[in-house]
Amino acid sequence: MQLDLAKGSRPRTLAILVLIIMAVFVVRLFYLQIIRNDFYMSAAKQEQQRQFVLPAARGEIYAMDAGKPVKIVMNETVYTVFADPKIIKESQPVIDVIQRIAGGNARANLDKLLAKKESRYQILATKVSLKQAEMIKDENLSGVGFQRETQRVYPEGQLAAQALGFVDFEKKGQYGIEGAQNERLTGKDGLLQTVADVRDVPLTIGKDNIHTPADNGDNIVMTIDRNIQSHAESALAEGMKRSGATNGSVMVMDPQTGKVLAMANLPTYDPSKYGQVLDAAAFNNATISAPFEPGSDIKTLTLAIGLDKGVVEPDSTYNNTDFIKVEDRTISNATKGQTGTITYQRALNYSLNTGFVTIAQKLGNGSSITRGARDTMYDYFHNKFGLGVLTDIELAGEAQGTIVPPTDQDGGAVRYSNMSFGQGMDVTMVQVCAAFSTIINGGTYYSPTIVEGVMSDDGSKIEVAPAKESRQNVISSSASDKVRAMIHEARSTFYSSNDTAGYYTGGKTGTSQTLRDGKYIDSETVGTYLGFGGNDSSSGGPKYVIMVQVSGKNMNLTGSVDALPIFTDISNWTLDYMKLQPKG
Amino acid sequence: MQNTRRLVGKVGNNVRAVVVRRHRPDYQIVLYMGLLMLLGLVIMYAIGPQRANVLNNSYGTDFYTSTYFFMKQGVSLLFAIAAFVIMATLPYSFIRQNALKILFVGLGACLLLFVAGNILHMDTIAKCELGGTACRWFNLGPLGSIQPAEILKFGLLVYVAGFLGMRIKQGLVNDRDKTLIPLGALIGLATLFIIVIQKDMGTGLAMLAIMASMLMVGGVSKKVGAMLIVVGVVAGLLFVVTSPHRVERVTTFLAGDNSMTSGDADANYHINHAKIAIGSGGLDGVGIGNSVQATGYLPEAINDSVFAIMGETFGFIGLTIILLIFTALLLRLLRITDHLPDLWMKLAVAGVFGWLASHVILNVAAMIGVVPLTGVTLPLLSFGGTSMIFIAGALGLAFQLSRYTIHESTHKETNYENIGSRRGVGRTRYAGTRRN
Repeated sequence: MQLDLAKGSRPRTLAILVLIIMAVFVVRLFYLQIIRNDFYMSAAKQEQQRQFVLPAARGEIYAMDAGKPVKIVMNETVYTVFADPKIIKESQPVIDVIQRIAGGNARANLDKLLAKKESRYQILATKVSLKQAEMIKDENLSGVGFQRETQRVYPEGQLAAQALGFVDFEKKGQYGIEGAQNERLTGKDGLLQTVADVRDVPLTIGKDNIHTPADNGDNIVMTIDRNIQSHAESALAEGMKRSGATNGSVMVMDPQTGKVLAMANLPTYDPSKYGQVLDAAAFNNATISAPFEPGSDIKTLTLAIGLDKGVVEPDSTYNNTDFIKVEDRTISNATKGQTGTITYQRALNYSLNTGFVTIAQKLGNGSSITRGARDTMYDYFHNKFGLGVLTDIELAGEAQGTIVPPTDQDGGAVRYSNMSFGQGMDVTMVQVCAAFSTIINGGTYYSPTIVEGVMSDDGSKIEVAPAKESRQNVISSSASDKVRAMIHEARSTFYSSNDTAGYYTGGKTGTSQTLRDGKYIDSETVGTYLGFGGNDSSSGGPKYVIMVQVSGKNMNLTGSVDALPIFTDISNWTLDYMKLQPKG
Repeated sequence: MQNTRRLVGKVGNNVRAVVVRRHRPDYQIVLYMGLLMLLGLVIMYAIGPQRANVLNNSYGTDFYTSTYFFMKQGVSLLFAIAAFVIMATLPYSFIRQNALKILFVGLGACLLLFVAGNILHMDTIAKCELGGTACRWFNLGPLGSIQPAEILKFGLLVYVAGFLGMRIKQGLVNDRDKTLIPLGALIGLATLFIIVIQKDMGTGLAMLAIMASMLMVGGVSKKVGAMLIVVGVVAGLLFVVTSPHRVERVTTFLAGDNSMTSGDADANYHINHAKIAIGSGGLDGVGIGNSVQATGYLPEAINDSVFAIMGETFGFIGLTIILLIFTALLLRLLRITDHLPDLWMKLAVAGVFGWLASHVILNVAAMIGVVPLTGVTLPLLSFGGTSMIFIAGALGLAFQLSRYTIHESTHKETNYENIGSRRGVGRTRYAGTRRN
């Protein structure tokens, strides 16, 4: 550019000044844009790049409703309303709006919370619905914000509370299926790493953007039938009311599959208000986590072992004196007077302990419970029937229980004589139900399960869970037929008068002493009843196994008086519900 | 007659008349101005959508469309081009004759604004900032707003050109009582309006730069110049220390790069983000439409900070080209002023140079963190009407005056060591001498 500025002229001086300043600018730009480029790039990135967690939706939980899955645990979006007290100039309008719209969800002492001007975050209301949140938003209160959250809702209220468990404030499943299947239900959060504008709105600009979609948690379909569950709960509550029991549990299982149809425990709780539960014992699912001595119910298993081993037949007899000596102990019958030569059927009907001790003896040398007999009993109880073994049911807090092995110093003849009628062992209801199912279903052990499968996100298709382990021919089918018939007979003899006619039921009472400080006490007994129902084997066999257990502190509860009516109630109702064809 | 103006000037040490034919203007001015306007339009197109998005989100409307700023800038450009054309064609003599009136309009408008805004608080007429204390604009409703300080600036330019030119001819340019004090009073009055009342340091500095350029080119002596600089610096410091937000800006500036992580003052944030925008642009920038700083991080992204956004978008290469265009334009103005034999013209173009140079230098220097923020627009690039229209008008005047240059520097003529003896050199006396 030809400027023709004369040497020494003022415009020339200004031109030189302009050139110097521009040169300084260019040097400075070079410094900022080239030399310090990395620094400013990372400063920009640090400021502009955001990582958004794309929360995975927690899987919902379904139960069955006569074969169709229905939701019993759902997700609901709720909002936490918070405020920045520093920004809010006048508290009263805010308080009025929050109290008017959020109602009971508003926290108390809003004026005090908003008066804390030094804090920048105060929660004003929690669990506010979307509609309420929108109404509050429409009021255009400055300094009031919303936080989106999901919470569990329970359309069936307290139904199956212990089986379900709950989700705690950290979004972690606790107890029940929520606890055990937490990982599956939680899914995997996705990640969105992106450049965002100053308001955190993601932009499409940028090279390092990452988008990993969230992997939603599995929607688990439980095998529980909500109707059976519901009736089991009310029948249990009524039965407990009649007898004054304070604790009770019911388990209903499909003996042909090992699927749990109902598990009820009282006292219970409301999973949507788990925080208000005072005694955490209410969270425990006694059917799987409270091993106890089931008592005479186990006689059916001992009988099955004897029949399977061929040491007894239904019409075999023994000489009942109401007492039997095992080593240095004398075992007596609870019901006395059926002395003489009697059949094992009679021993079962009257629940005579001595008869089952003789079966244990017959498994040995006929007169004592030898090591061989004990090994056989242990093999059946523990290895085949799964007593004292974790069933791996898909719920949290399962307890193992104990079957003392013969190898144990404590596993002598006395203990095994006790075990033959259900004392001296610690087992859970789910173990007993699975074992009982085995002996009445033809001899197949099905691992208990409570998960039917996984529901697709649109609720249209169940991906059925792979079958759990089963063991065939645990006892022979003929032994199973015999023991089923004997159990049927045992119920028919005394207790079937209230049964709906035309069906095939069976069951065994149990009244067990409880251990306190290592000693059996007579002042507190647990009443149980273990039975089955359905059709006879020619028309499909048993459809359900029901086990009832009731107890109360310092209460003598018995199987026949306190537990059996509950069984009868549930059994009759279930027969009707299952629409089984009655016979004759 | 229309195309020929007889002007009186001197070349060399010989007092003689120069008849200057009205010739082709300096089209390079149009070229550089056009390039800058085009770039301004491009950047509005590029960041308009982001800016609109931010504003829509802020105000919860969808009033701002993605082409809103582009269109509005286009309209502003049309006005600016109109202003350029008017000033390029309206006979300069008209402006010269009405210089005092223009100055009074400027002063009057500022006074009116002061009364309407600061005293009567008429929000519908006066647009104010800083909590209503800095009233700088008249609200023109749908037409936008107008900043009377720009009129005042222009009025000062054309009036002082005449006043100073007269004093130069009288040889009294360095005279304290006849020149410096009246001039000082005038500048003081303008400063009172712009810097003290309107709290607009940027426009005030631009005005002072216009005056300084005219004095410089007008040949004020070094001694007086030094004195004026001292007065200016002292006055500047006084303005700074009497205003908290100016102190803040200066301390922010002095904290330098360390302030990257400290402090939360607005100015601090502003400068840091300008530097982030520029620095992250690298050699060739992130490209059109990829600016992230324009999505709300950098304040005034389309106005005062547009240079930083351009740095992010076009990188070092782009900014260097922009600075080169500005440099070329400024040098052209200096050439014109140097080659104009007529004193009024010379001083007027010197004023236009000062106007443009101060805006460019103050704006760019603040964006790259070498001087504190003053809040001036980047001429022809920043979004916004008044500033661009007046700058374009000023350039239009310079463009018109570029028709009257001569081929050589008038340097010798502006050595005024004994100019007093040439009093009376006038148009009529020499008008006929070259005529045959």
